[in-house]
Amino acid sequence: MRIVLDENKCSSLGMCESVAPNFFEVGDDGALNLLNPTPPEDRRALMEEAVAACPTSALSIEE
Amino acid sequence: MTTVAHPRDTRPYDPADISSRAFWSQTAAEREKTYAVLRAERPVSWHQPVEDMLMKDPNDQGFWAVVRHADLVEVTKRHEDFISGEGIVMESMPQELLDAGQGFIAMDPPRHTKIRRLLSSAFTPKQIRRIHDQIQANAGRIVDDIATRGEVDFVPEVAALVPMHNICDMMGIDEADRTKMAYEAQFAGGWNDPELMGDQEPLGRLFEAMLYLGELAGRYIAERRRNPGEDLLSNLVQAEVDGERLTDDEIMSFFGLLTIAGNDTTRQSTSHAMKALTDFPEQKAWLMEDLDGRLKGAVEEMVRWATPIMTFRRTASRDCELNGQQITHGDKVVMFYASANWDTEVFDAPERFDLSRNPNPHVSFGGGGIHHCLGNQLARQQLAAIYRELLTRLPDIEVSGEPSYTVSTFFHGVNHLPVRFTPER
Repeated sequence: MRIVLDENKCSSLGMCESVAPNFFEVGDDGALNLLNPTPPEDRRALMEEAVAACPTSALSIEE
Repeated sequence: MTTVAHPRDTRPYDPADISSRAFWSQTAAEREKTYAVLRAERPVSWHQPVEDMLMKDPNDQGFWAVVRHADLVEVTKRHEDFISGEGIVMESMPQELLDAGQGFIAMDPPRHTKIRRLLSSAFTPKQIRRIHDQIQANAGRIVDDIATRGEVDFVPEVAALVPMHNICDMMGIDEADRTKMAYEAQFAGGWNDPELMGDQEPLGRLFEAMLYLGELAGRYIAERRRNPGEDLLSNLVQAEVDGERLTDDEIMSFFGLLTIAGNDTTRQSTSHAMKALTDFPEQKAWLMEDLDGRLKGAVEEMVRWATPIMTFRRTASRDCELNGQQITHGDKVVMFYASANWDTEVFDAPERFDLSRNPNPHVSFGGGGIHHCLGNQLARQQLAAIYRELLTRLPDIEVSGEPSYTVSTFFHGVNHLPVRFTPER
């Protein structure tokens, strides 16, 4: 599983970070950093929740 | 089903009245009766221009009303079909006001994306966690000031002060400027309210308020250019977009937006929540059984119940379709958030204030999409802070008289809300 970020869509709101702070972090420069773009399989539900929380559909999961 | 496209000037108006001053002077529960009919029978409907326009706009022939949850979410996400750059309230406004007061909320990509990211850095979860203690301390100080009095007007003494202090702390605004600044901000959305306006002329008064906020912002911007600090304004004066510094006018328009969007929303949610906790005492009791464990979810229901912003407008950038209706380039398309938050397709018994509601996909912060509320985490944190403080220290606080509501097509405002409680010893 790989987390994919579309930087053109991301508005750095941090909804993903509020769901999964160990995997997403909006930096002080306003850019979203993927802290672990290849999360372990047992975190799938959390990743799906974080991806779904994005209001601009900037995140997706690739297998 | 696809209906025939009508040109704007001959398109028949829907018989339901959601345009008149009388409609917007009703309570939310009364307006909901009309929304319920539209949601069930005519989910995307064409209406007469709203009464009491700020300015005469001969080109304004009406608006589409979007009342279902699913349609509202769709309009929000189709930001290329439904743009914000021509205004975000139902009423038409002069271009100078759009520029001055609405900042990036009335911008479209690509500029919106860049500017928004710049401001986002002040509202990230990490940043809001950093100021958590400050937000809780502000709540404590507000309750300190009322705790021994037993009876107060909740709106000016509590609800208005919560966002005022937090937003001003973030921007680095001096104590002495805060009250007047929050007061003036009310005129940005208050043009229909008889109590606020008195006999003042709405458009002139709105300009006056924006002029005041502009001058105040100008003073702070100049000061921060000389002596930058750690606050949001200092960040803005030093920030670059595409290698260029923001102009004073651009920073002033963010200042206006943050002042207005920051103050007039959390204030309303805090007030409506107090009324609801009084009207649904079993919900208040349930919350207080485990305040720490239940507050986070409860805040979501408070925000749904309040729906502090009732409408946002978009403008169609081209001919397109929405749930079977043919929308024409240039049509105003208005989203009705209170209606979407009461949609029985999504919410079970929406007329019940249910603090345990889960999931709670309310649209009070937006339906998703690029204009989703920047301050949503700040707002949630503030509501939790003030209710943690109130319900711990003044547990029997309740509404003791009739609230008076603001007349507005935009903010779901409360002007006065008398409350009483056993004074703290």
